[in-house]
Amino acid sequence: MKQIAVLLLLTFGVHFPTMAQEDAVAETNLKVGDVAPDFTLLSDKWEKVKLSDFRDKKNVILAFYVLAFTGG
Amino acid sequence: MAKLEASDTIVLGISIDSPAANAAFAKQIGVTFPLLSDMNKEVLTAYQILKPYDVKGGKYEWAQRTTIVVDKEGKIQHVEQGDSAVNPNSAVSVCTTLHKSKD
Repeated sequence: MKQIAVLLLLTFGVHFPTMAQEDAVAETNLKVGDVAPDFTLLSDKWEKVKLSDFRDKKNVILAFYVLAFTGG
Repeated sequence: MAKLEASDTIVLGISIDSPAANAAFAKQIGVTFPLLSDMNKEVLTAYQILKPYDVKGGKYEWAQRTTIVVDKEGKIQHVEQGDSAVNPNSAVSVCTTLHKSKD
C-alpha cells in the first residue's frame, strides 16, 4: 500500500505542474473592511483550527494555495 | 517568519488537499504554520475563490491563489490574488503596519 501511495504522489507531482490553467482570476467580492467569514478546518495534524479563535489575539494571514506538491 | 511572529501574526495555509497530503507537503517544504484542509470547499465557496482548472479534459474546481490578511477584530485588511499573491511581502508589510498602529 505504502509503495502505491508513494507512486501516486510521484505521479501527481510530475503531472500537476504541467496542467492547463485558465488565466482568468477568480475574483472574490470580499473587500477590505469586511468581516472575514468564520470557518473551522482540520489541520495537517488533524486538529480543528477555527479562524475566530484568533480574535483579539493574532492577525491572521490566510494563504490559499491550489494544491500541495505543485509549487502553488 | 520572524517578522510575522514579531507582529502578532500567524499564517494559515488553506487548500482542498487532505490532512494526510498536507502533512506530507508540510514535511517536504518545512513549514511550521498549519496547513488546513478545505476538502468540502466550504471556505473556498464562502471566500468566493473557487477557480475552474482543466486537467486532461477533466474539469476541477480548486483554490484561486489568494492571500487575505485578517486583523484581530476579524476584519479583512488586505486581499491579493493571482500570481502576485505568491510573494508574501505585501501581506507581511500590512501586518507589520497593523502591529505598529496598535502601539
